[in-house]
Amino acid sequence: MIAVMSTSDQLPYVVASYVVTLGAIGAYAWRMLARARKIAAKVPPKDRPWT
Amino acid sequence: MDLSPREVVPTAQAKPRKRPWAAIAVLAVVLIGGSVLVVKFLTNAVDYYCNVDEVGVKDGCDVGRNIRIQGVVQKDTYAKGDSGGANFVIAYNGVSMPVSVGSEPSGIFQECIPVVVRGKVAGSGDDLVFEGDEVIVKHDNEYDAENQDRLAQSNAEASECSQKG
Amino acid sequence: MTPTDTPTSDTSPIDPAAAVRRPTGTAFTRALGVASLVGIVWLVLFGLFLSPNDASQKAGVRILYIHVPSAWLAYLAFIVTGVSSAAYLFKRTRSLTWDRIAGASAEVGVLFMGVALITGSLWGRISWGIFWTWDSRLTTTAFLFVTYIGYLAVRGLGGSHQQRARRSAIIALLAVLEVPLVHFSVKWWRPLHQQESVAEGKLSGLMLFSLFVGIVSFTLLYVWLVLHRQRVLAMEDSLDDQGLDQALAERRAEGAQV
Repeated sequence: MIAVMSTSDQLPYVVASYVVTLGAIGAYAWRMLARARKIAAKVPPKDRPWT
Repeated sequence: MDLSPREVVPTAQAKPRKRPWAAIAVLAVVLIGGSVLVVKFLTNAVDYYCNVDEVGVKDGCDVGRNIRIQGVVQKDTYAKGDSGGANFVIAYNGVSMPVSVGSEPSGIFQECIPVVVRGKVAGSGDDLVFEGDEVIVKHDNEYDAENQDRLAQSNAEASECSQKG
Repeated sequence: MTPTDTPTSDTSPIDPAAAVRRPTGTAFTRALGVASLVGIVWLVLFGLFLSPNDASQKAGVRILYIHVPSAWLAYLAFIVTGVSSAAYLFKRTRSLTWDRIAGASAEVGVLFMGVALITGSLWGRISWGIFWTWDSRLTTTAFLFVTYIGYLAVRGLGGSHQQRARRSAIIALLAVLEVPLVHFSVKWWRPLHQQESVAEGKLSGLMLFSLFVGIVSFTLLYVWLVLHRQRVLAMEDSLDDQGLDQALAERRAEGAQV
């Protein structure tokens, strides 16, 4: 009998891939915005032309 | 003009210029990592990639040499080995080869599926056996929704796979 | 800032009103952010729940909807880095904004490439039975990933903004040559990795739609991330300049006293 990976065996890998993907992108975005908030007050408005 | 060395007075505001040790360390890791990747790739590429029908025929696909062999797992040939391994037969273009591996194949491994086995051909004459270290299932680029009609179709195809291999 | 400007302390805010909740946001990026979030929700819905299992890979096919968009976006990001670097090196378009776009895009590209490698590894365990093998596509992808980590490290080596921009632009123009190498590796060598599915029409119905949702939402997300990141880089450069101006002013003041 071949021990083929069943759908339920596969699910942890599938869920892990979504968690890793969204977690990594979310963590990166959060860190970037936190850095922006931290330094924004020290930057003169002329160096923030988008605001 | 006063040319005597000035006394450096650190100010609260002036940030000392940081040495980019972190960047240098990352670069060192990158250089080592990149070299490892290249070496690993080149040493693995040394193993010829042979179809079953090329063993003993094509240059590089010799008996006793480390190669990667590709073929379709034949129906009703799979059996568990004595020490946790497995035995099965693979075929390509009408030529078949018994395979013996030390560990049970995983993933979507099943009969009638193409696989790549890393190892070497042992034996002589008609008694050739491929002694494999690693079995990798080779999935094609075709995707079909799973449903009962498809399952019935794939079962029908599976019953014919011995003739296809 | 000119040397005659009053130096500003790092600790005293220039513009307290700037300390807003979204210092790098605009109406456009906010709309883009909302669209990206909606896209991600759709991706999770279609990728995990509404699309069918594959006949042979079963649930494993669901990783395709994040793995392929991540890899494609990484390629796009590295190409954008290459084009922006070329724009910086070209005298008529030389501007540090190009350099910051290049840096931001490379950083986001490394993020997506890392995601593609991890999800590919998890998918490999399901379909091939192993997490990793020294296959041509896998190895060239890992090499591309390592190369751009090196590019980011080179950006952090110090020097003036112009030195950083010139040095990293040259590396980016060399590194982007690896992208076609990775893409065509599945054609040039006998790989384990499957060939293209979308271009060859091997994906259809809800599976194709789920992949489409993944590509659109990740593309929106990429643009959003790069816009914000390059603005953060611009603010960091401004802070560096303030530090330099301040040091110059202090040195002048010191010189005037002698």
